[in-house]
Amino acid sequence: MRNKNFQRLGRLLGTTRILTIASLMVVQSLSAQSIWEDGDVDNGQALFNANCASCHLVTADVLAAPGLAGIADRWGSSDELLVQWIQNPQGAAATGDGYIRSLVERYVGTYGWMSAQAVSADDVRDIMAYVQNPPDVDVASTSDNGCINIDELPEEKTEDSSTLWFVILLVMFLLIAMSASGVNRGLTNAIREREGESQLEDLGYLARLRGWAWNNMVFVSVLGLFLVAFGVVKGYQGLMGVGVYEGYLPEQPVKFIHSVHVCENEVDCKYCHHSAYESKHAGIPSTNVCMNCHKAVKKGSRYGEVEIGKIYAAIGFDPETGTYFDGEGNNGHYGPQDSFNGEPIKWNKVHNLPDHVYFSHQQHVVVGGLQCQNCHGDVETWSAGRIASVDHINTLVDKYPGLIELSKPTLTMGWCIECHNKASIDLASSAYYEEMHDRMKDDVRGNEELRRILEDEKITVKEMGGWECSKCHY
Amino acid sequence: MSKRWNPIVPIAAFVVAMSGCVTDENSPGLEYMPDMYRSPAVEAYVDYGMDPYYVTEEVAVGQRNTQSARKPVAGTIPFVGANKAFGLPYAYPNTPEGYEAAGMELASPLSTTKAHIEAGMEIYVQMCTQCHGEEGKGDGALSRNGHIAGIPSYSDKLKDLPMGKMYHTLTYGKGLMGSHASQLSQKDRWLVIEYIKVLQQGGEMPEFDESGNVVESAADGAMAMNN
Repeated sequence: MRNKNFQRLGRLLGTTRILTIASLMVVQSLSAQSIWEDGDVDNGQALFNANCASCHLVTADVLAAPGLAGIADRWGSSDELLVQWIQNPQGAAATGDGYIRSLVERYVGTYGWMSAQAVSADDVRDIMAYVQNPPDVDVASTSDNGCINIDELPEEKTEDSSTLWFVILLVMFLLIAMSASGVNRGLTNAIREREGESQLEDLGYLARLRGWAWNNMVFVSVLGLFLVAFGVVKGYQGLMGVGVYEGYLPEQPVKFIHSVHVCENEVDCKYCHHSAYESKHAGIPSTNVCMNCHKAVKKGSRYGEVEIGKIYAAIGFDPETGTYFDGEGNNGHYGPQDSFNGEPIKWNKVHNLPDHVYFSHQQHVVVGGLQCQNCHGDVETWSAGRIASVDHINTLVDKYPGLIELSKPTLTMGWCIECHNKASIDLASSAYYEEMHDRMKDDVRGNEELRRILEDEKITVKEMGGWECSKCHY
Repeated sequence: MSKRWNPIVPIAAFVVAMSGCVTDENSPGLEYMPDMYRSPAVEAYVDYGMDPYYVTEEVAVGQRNTQSARKPVAGTIPFVGANKAFGLPYAYPNTPEGYEAAGMELASPLSTTKAHIEAGMEIYVQMCTQCHGEEGKGDGALSRNGHIAGIPSYSDKLKDLPMGKMYHTLTYGKGLMGSHASQLSQKDRWLVIEYIKVLQQGGEMPEFDESGNVVESAADGAMAMNN
């Protein structure tokens, strides 16, 4: 490039030696134009985002490498060296420059070598123009992404307070009845006193109630029958509610918001709950999984640095320097150190099955191919995790094709076997099923069985043994 | 008169008793036989100290804050089946030199087949798209929302990235990207790399023959069929 300019300039200015030398000087001064001046900010921004932004910030904050604020003061007049450092860091370090040596000593151990960047000196000038005067960062708007969080919607008064009103009315009614009976007795006594009769015996409330009930036997027995029936129904419902966890929403140590992660930022459920693939547990992610994003995302959209700071405290990460602590409080070089003595985040378990039930996520997610929403509801519209009610999941049938409508409360055995009776198996999904199918076809009794199973033109989980006690209880 | 009782006292007692019926969100509610729900058998994420049913209060308090999720003993090698290619510890150190060496020497134990690429794609869609984007252009939601900038495109800046370096980065992390070794098994890592190789070529699926192997080029494939 320089050669071409040089030749062109040389041709333009004539071929005398003096002029050539003069032109050489002009070219030199042109190419030696300071990289801190006259750069194209827009181009610089594009170049910066493409080449530098994955490690450097234009502020003084550390991302995966030191921030670039004040870079002009630090490098000063050693323009060419800076260009060389960007194009070939190891090569620039070999020049033995004092400042570069200090950089290498200070940062390479922590952040590793910067990779060589394929940028020209002109590109560097544009980048530096951007780095020195970055335009105001637009805060990404997350309000128009179509994501809703039902926990953040204005609260509706849906709370059922009828029981409370019933109790209050009952108490008021009792008070009125008691005082009315008192007034009644007082008035009767007043009349008796005027007519010279003896006063009524003071029987107390209970005795008087007994007397009243005796006098109104039909009414009292109908009322009593009604009360007993009411008690039986309520008692039955109450007992059926024991061990049903629908709507269980325990407080969590970190105010995690599913909607921000899953809906707004499109993190797949299984990115964090990855053990759903190969374990009975879907798993609560360990803190290092949080750090895969939160090494860069240091400020939350709802709670700022407070909630994310809890992750940093647990894993021992210093957001200022972008490095992890080891046990002695030194910055570890690569990832969390084994010796770090952090307090783990103690998430509260939400879904809990009794010990005598064997449930495997792997079987349902990998073999059954179920979506998470089938059992857990639209978690992407919530904040913290909770147990979705079966009524809520049934409202999602249109949103998630393949979701199975059920009637029994979630996480109860009725719910499990209801689904095992309804859900059909995709025979093409596994060679095992094909093998079983072939064997049954070839066998007389198997053929009969197959005919019986296929009467409703589908093979349910139940028909494959999903109602055998020992499938889940062993 | 001494026989008469004051109705205020039982009513107050009744109100106090009813106030116990207010739902506590942090309680899962009534359970039949809670010892079956909260058992001492080792289960993930159970705080055994929470349950003094059959241990004394003293033991329960002692157990409090212990967790079943523990770090394996140092030097433990997980058993993932007899295939040694996916079961041995990663040999390269987490240093710049290790990164370069992995890029030079490390090769995938997997062959490039249709099944492997499709399995890799499934993993890619679940584990990678939020940052790297569906087509691997570095335009995932986290990038579009302005949370993480400068995610390189596979088909551009990382076009010639060797598989060994990809594996090294997946294992240890590099720059802003963290280690994904806890989420992806060794086999998963190699599977997803098979798909990233496709993305490096712009995302066009290669042609496969009947057994699922990649046909070297369309012309070669046609010749093979003619022969």
